Amino acid sequence: MVKLYPEKLLSIITNDSMQERLECMFKKYGVSGFTIIQASGEGSSGMASEMSGFDGNILVKVIVPESQLQVLLESVERKLRKGYHLTVFVSDVQVITPEKFNKKSQ
Amino acid sequence: MSSLSNLLLPAVLFFALGVIARLIKSDLRFPPDLAKVLSIYLLMAIGLHGGYELAKADLVIAMNSIMWALILGFTLPIIGYLALVMTRKVSPLDAAAISAHYGSVSAGTFLTAIAYLDNVGVTYETYPLIMLAVMESPAIVVGLILAAKARHSIAAREKAPVSGGGAVISPPDNSADNPGGKFSELLRDAFTNGSVVILIGSMVIGAISTPSGMQQLFPFIDEIFMGVLCLFLFDMGMVAARRIGDFRQVGWLLALFGIVMPLIGGVVGAYVGHAILGFSVGGATLVAVLGASASYIAVPPAMRLAIPEANPSFYLTLSLGITFPFNVIVGIPIYHSLVQAMAAG
Repeated sequence: MVKLYPEKLLSIITNDSMQERLECMFKKYGVSGFTIIQASGEGSSGMASEMSGFDGNILVKVIVPESQLQVLLESVERKLRKGYHLTVFVSDVQVITPEKFNKKSQ
Repeated sequence: MSSLSNLLLPAVLFFALGVIARLIKSDLRFPPDLAKVLSIYLLMAIGLHGGYELAKADLVIAMNSIMWALILGFTLPIIGYLALVMTRKVSPLDAAAISAHYGSVSAGTFLTAIAYLDNVGVTYETYPLIMLAVMESPAIVVGLILAAKARHSIAAREKAPVSGGGAVISPPDNSADNPGGKFSELLRDAFTNGSVVILIGSMVIGAISTPSGMQQLFPFIDEIFMGVLCLFLFDMGMVAARRIGDFRQVGWLLALFGIVMPLIGGVVGAYVGHAILGFSVGGATLVAVLGASASYIAVPPAMRLAIPEANPSFYLTLSLGITFPFNVIVGIPIYHSLVQAMAAG
C-alpha cells in the first residue's frame, strides 16, 4: 500500500493577464511549483474566450502544505480587495511525494 | 458606390461569414490561438512592407506624423471620457477604461482599410503605418491617469466606510493611487506591448534590409497577405459575434457610444490627416481609421491590470462587439467619403 500525505490544492481562475502577477506571488512566498492551464468560461465579469491574447482565462493550480496556504490566501485576498477578478477555491488532496511541495520548510 | 464595394470586399464578406457562423450556432471552430498567430503574421508583413517604403520617406513628415499620432492618442481618450461621464451610465473608472480603448487603435481595422483602398484603387502614404505603431500605447497612459483621478475623487466622496466589509469594489485608502502596481511598470508594459514590438521591429528590419533580400520576402508579405487577412477577419467575425450577445448588458446609450465615438475619432483623424499632415485622400482615410478604431488586443489586458475595478464586459463589448464590426462594415467607406469631401471642399 502506497502511503499518501495530505496537502492543500489552491485553484485560481482568472484572466491570463494576471499570470505574471501570480507567478511573482508564488515565487515571493516560496511555492515550489505550480501548473497553469488555458481556460474558458463565463462568470460574474462576463465571458472569457479560450484565446490567449484575446482575453483568455487561465486556471492556476498549486499544491502547498497547510502551513503555507494561509499566507497565499492573504495575498490573494489583497488582490481581490483591489478589484481583481479571481475565482479561488481550496481543496484537500493527497500526494505521494510530500517533499515536492515543502520547499520552504526544507 | 464606395460603400457597396466595401461590403463586397472578400475580407469583409469573410468577417460577415464569421458573424453569421456564430449567430446560426454553427459548430465551426478555429484553433484557439489562430487569430493571434494570424495577427502576428499581419503585423509582421505590414511592418516589413511599410519599413521598406519608409526607408525612402521624408524624415520631417515622419516626425510630424509621430507627433500627431501622439496628440491623437492622448486627446481622443479624454474626449471619450468626457462623453461617457456625461451619459451617467458608467462609473468614472469604467469610463477611464473604455476611453483608453478608443484612444488606442485596431490593427485589424487598419488592415481592412488598406484592403478597401487597394480595392477601390486609391493610393496612400506609408506614414499612417508609423502612426499605427505609435498610437497603440499613449491611450493606455491616459486611461491610467484618468483612472487615478477617478479613484481620488471616489475616495474623497466615500470617506465613510462602506458597509458590508469584504465587498470587492471598495478599495482601501492606500490603493487609491494605483492598484495595478508601479506606474513605471505599467508604462513599460504599455510600450513593450507585443504588437508594438512586432510592428516597430519589422519596420526597422524592412528599412535596413537589402532590397534583394526584401524581394525574396515579397511572396510572403505581399502575395498571401489578403488571403491571411480574410482568414483573420473570418475568425474575428466569430469572436466579435460572441460579444454582440452582451449588447443588452451595456444598454443602448453605451452601444450608441460605440458608434458615435468612432465617428468623432474619424472626423478628428480625417482633419489631422488631410488638413494638418497634408496627406492624399488615401493617407488621410487611414489616419481617420486610426482615429476611429478602438483597440481590442493591446488595451484590454492592460486595463484588466491597471483598472481592475472596471467591468471588462463594457469595454470588450464596445470595442470588439460594436465598434470593430461598425468600422469594418460601414465606417471605412464613411471615413473615405468624408476625406473626399474635405479634399473637394
